[in-house]
Parts: sequence; C-alpha cells; structure tokens
Amino acid sequence: MTEKENNKKTEDLGNYFPINKSYIKRKKIYNRIAYTFAALAFIIGAFPVFHIIYSALIIGYKYLNWNFISTLPSGFPIGAKGGILNAIIGDLYLVVIASCLAVPLGIGSGLYLSLFGKKRTNSIIRLLNELMIGIPSVVWGIMGFYIFSTNAGLGFHFGFSALAAGLTLGFIMTPIVTLLTEQAVNRIPVSYIEGALAMGATKWQATKSVIVKAAMGGIFTAVLLGVLNIIGQTAPLLFTNYYNTGMPTGVTGPGGAVGDLAMLIFIYIHEPSRILHYKAEAASVVLLFFVFALDIGMRLISWVTVKIFEML
Amino acid sequence: MADIDKNNKNNNIDKNNIDNAIDNNKEEIKIEVKNLNFYYGDYHLLKDINLFFKKNSVCTILGPSGCGKSSFLRTLNRMNDYTEGSKLKGEVLLDGKNIYDKSIDVVELRRNVGMVFQNPNPFPKTVFENVAFGLKIHGIRNKQFIAERVEKCLKYAGLFDEVKDKLHKNAFSLSGGQQQRLCIARAIATNPSVLLMDEPTAYLDPASTATILDLIANFKKFYTIIIVSHNIQQAGRISDYSGFFLNGELIEFSKSGDFFTRPKDKRTENFITNRF
Ligand SMILES: Nc1ncnc2c1ncn2[C@@H]1O[C@H](COP(=O)(O)OP(=O)(O)OP(=O)(O)O)[C@@H](O)[C@H]1O
Ligand SMILES: [Mg+2]
Repeated sequence: MTEKENNKKTEDLGNYFPINKSYIKRKKIYNRIAYTFAALAFIIGAFPVFHIIYSALIIGYKYLNWNFISTLPSGFPIGAKGGILNAIIGDLYLVVIASCLAVPLGIGSGLYLSLFGKKRTNSIIRLLNELMIGIPSVVWGIMGFYIFSTNAGLGFHFGFSALAAGLTLGFIMTPIVTLLTEQAVNRIPVSYIEGALAMGATKWQATKSVIVKAAMGGIFTAVLLGVLNIIGQTAPLLFTNYYNTGMPTGVTGPGGAVGDLAMLIFIYIHEPSRILHYKAEAASVVLLFFVFALDIGMRLISWVTVKIFEML
Repeated sequence: MADIDKNNKNNNIDKNNIDNAIDNNKEEIKIEVKNLNFYYGDYHLLKDINLFFKKNSVCTILGPSGCGKSSFLRTLNRMNDYTEGSKLKGEVLLDGKNIYDKSIDVVELRRNVGMVFQNPNPFPKTVFENVAFGLKIHGIRNKQFIAERVEKCLKYAGLFDEVKDKLHKNAFSLSGGQQQRLCIARAIATNPSVLLMDEPTAYLDPASTATILDLIANFKKFYTIIIVSHNIQQAGRISDYSGFFLNGELIEFSKSGDFFTRPKDKRTENFITNRF
C-alpha cells in the first residue's frame, strides 16, 4: 500500500469516535466494586481456616511435643495420658489401603475415559462417576459395612477393621481420582497425542511415554486431593472400623481395627474431659500439619516420577 | 545450505535411503488415491478424489482455507481413524497396497509415512528424547545405534549444530523454527519413505522458512513428499506436482510447470493469480 492509499483509508474511517465520558468514570467504579467484592470474599473464605489454625494452636499448644505423636494413649479416661500414635499409624494404614484400591482404579479409569473410550459410553460413565462423588460418605459407610464388615454381603467378613474401612475409603476416593485424572489428561494438547500416533506409536505407547508424563503433575494432584478427602472422613469409619486406642494386630477381624485422627478428634470432643478437648485441638493441628506435609511431599514425588518416566 | 550438503557428504547419512533412491525408477508411483470420499458425520467433505504421487517427488496441495487439505493429508496415514464419526470410501494404495485394507498394520504404515504438523509439536521431553522416541516405540534398544541415529537425523534436519550443546535440554527451550526442524528430524528418524507436511512453515519467520524449504528440496532424494501450503510462490519453487482443492474437490492436478503457467481450469487460474 502506498502512503496515499494509507491516508485515504484513515480518512474513510473518519476521525469521529464518540467517547462516553460518564461511562468511563462508571467503569472505573465498577472495577473497584468488583475488586472489593473479590477481596472480601477471599477474606471471608479464608478467615475460618486461619481461625481454626489459631484457636487449635492456642488451646492445644501445650500438648504439641514429640511425646504426643510418639506414644499411645493411656490413663483414664483413655487418652488423658500419652499421645496419638495409634491414630497416626491407623491413618497410615487407611491411606495406604485406600490408595492401593483408588490409585490404580482411578488413574486407570481416568486415562480410559479421556483416551480410549467411545464417546457415548464415556458420558454414561462420567455421569455415574459424578453421581458417586455426590454420594454422602455416611451412605458409603453403610455400604462398606454390609459389603466388607458383615458376612451378609459378598462374603467378605473383615469385621470392624482397617481393611474394611480402607476399602470403603478407597471407593470414596476412586471417583475423585478418576475425575481429576481425566481432566488432567484432557488439558494436554491433542498435538502431543497426534504427534506420537503419527510416528507409529500405539495408544498405550503414546499414553505411557508422552501423555502420562505431561499429565503427571495433574495426576498427582488428583491423588493428593483424593487422599486429603478421605483423611478427614469419620462417617464411613463409624460403620467399618470405629476406633482402636492401641495398635492393630492385623488388618482384618478382631484386632484389625485402627485408630484415626478424625475419629480421635470426634471421640475426644464428646468426652466430658477438658484434657481430652485440648488434646483434640492438638490432634487437629497435627492433622493439618500432615495435610500440609502431604501436599509438599506429593509435589516432590511428582517431580521425581517425571524424572523417572523421562528415563523409561 | 552448503552446510547441509557438506554434512550429508561427510556423514554419509542414511545409506539405505540413498541406495533406495538410486535403485528407484523415478517414474514409479508411490501413492495412488482412487475414488476417495471422506465424510465428517453427514458432511461429505472430500468428493471423489483421484490422484497419484510419484516416487521421490514433491507435491504441493493448494487451496483456500477449509477446502479439506489437512483432512486429505490425514487420510494418507490414517490419522482420521481417531476422528469421531469420520467415514471413508475408496482406496489409498501405498506401493500398490490399500492402506485401508484389514490386513494393514497401522503402526507400520505410520512408521513408513511420516507426518509433520502445522504447529511445531515436540513432546515435552529433551531434544534427544524427541528424536529417539520414534526408535524406541519400534523396539530399538541399542543405545549406540540410537545415539548415532539421533545425531544423523538432527544433522539431516539442519539442526545439529544449533542444538548440539542442548541435546538434553527440554525441546520447548528451542525457537519455533528449531522446534519445527526438530519435528522433521523426529519424523525421519523412523526411516519413512513418505513425508506428509501440513503447512510446515505456516508459523515461521522467512529465514526459518527458507531453511525448511531447502531441506525439502534436499529430501526429495529419499522421500516422496506431500506438502500442504498456502504459499503459492513456495509451491512453485519446490514442487514437481501441484494439486488444487476447492470445497473438497480436486480441481486440478498436474506437473508444477504446467500448473502455474498453463492452468487448465479457470478456478485454478483465479486462485493462482489472486494470490500472486
Ligand atoms: N474433526 C472434524 N469434525 C467435523 N468437521 C471437521 C473436522 N475437521 C475439519 N472439519 C471440517 O472440514 C473442513 C475442512 O477442514 P480442513 O482442516 O481439512 O481444511 P484445510 O483445507 O486444511 O483448511 P486450512 O487451510 O484452514 O488448514 C472444514 O470445513 C472443517 O470445518
Ligand atoms: Mg489445514
């Protein structure tokens, strides 16, 4: 385009550009209002979190010592002396058992949904999955009770035990992991998958070496959120494990029940004993700390796993 | 591109391919497309396409946006297999065999028919791993062979000198033009005989574009190349055959010389002259 043509074009467009001054003023006010509202919402949302941490620390601080997390509860009422080791070990049992079920099942179905399934079956599975996330945990507890604890169900007769509770929690965790894994994989650009397939990779090869790696961060977040969800559950434990003040001697039957932090807090708070109330607050600080540590730990594991997958 | 030529001579890249190239009868047909019809659901996109690609030739597919060029290219390595609701009728003969035949191994087909995409799409891996990927998925485990082959392919794609210190850095740290050449190196690693390129220079600056076009001219010795392009000058410069698509129909297909100087169809002429 020559200079002349260029000038002509601007002329054609005209210099008239009606600016609405009062609207410009107003839009700045709207912006301020929106900003204030968002900040306010954040403060209101975050306040309880800080308040919980603050009050739990204030009340429970004198019990927060090494002894508290390294000894079993004792004294009368039980827990008046000693610590919460039973609950910490119990949570470990439950998280490991639940993860053994939910991690392969959840990641597997998430990958399947986003990569392999046919569209129509997918939307049915997805709907069912979302329904499962919506089922109240007390219902899962009753289901777990019938299926795993009693001998009325499918023939498992695990009693009130870590295995019955862990599997029940695993079923709560699975749909969460499935949903988040699928979302993580769907966020990967199609071009990665196409690039791998176009070189003659099978879908599994593309999944294994390109997709899982690209989605690793998201998949770990999926597992993390699943674990965080079940670590705080009490309702399912009421029906499948209840609570053990000592160490388990197995994972099923009598002696198979474990302690659990959330149950410990629940039980201590209902005892008419000031010491136990304080200890419940201290236990919730420990629970919060574990959640925090888990978050950081998962990020680390995710980072390491990516490195390992890179070498495969 | 003296550099590349030098590289080629010094490193004696891909002996097999060079031998093939000498043995090949230049006029032999590599791919023949017969009565190809392609549908996205009810939408009849490609209508009765008939054409052929000669061995060791470069063919450019031209046409306005949305006329079905990419879809056509993707029928040649069966990438459309994964498109929900797509349907295909007709035949695509590669070395005389219909690639849509039940007995065809799609994995082997795609090893043999490499593809370079419109947007550079390296994997989120290191430069080295990007090229090695194609070898590993086909079961090659010999570390030394892989290392040599990766180096050769990178040299061949005119990239080695630029990345030799960054082989173990993430591929995303390369520039757009380097990423695209990495994708080319990746595509030739599996020793294909056909290369499909969907607007390989669409998002590149003139210098990177020129590098890649020179590569393509050089590649002819080893591969049958089919390029989708929006750039008519480019097409005229590098291709032996040209085809013009419009609304899913193949309007004209001929030797590039005739295609650009004496188009038979008025629509082809309009397309060419509008863009020149
Ligand atoms: N997955 C799909 N499902 C349905 N329709 C599609 C799909 N992919 C492409 N199309 C349609 O097919 C037509 C041709 O698309 P195609 O990508 O082959 O065009 P193109 O010639 O490569 O265009 P461009 O030059 O813009 O890349 C378009 O109208 C597009 O809307
Ligand atoms: Mg296209």
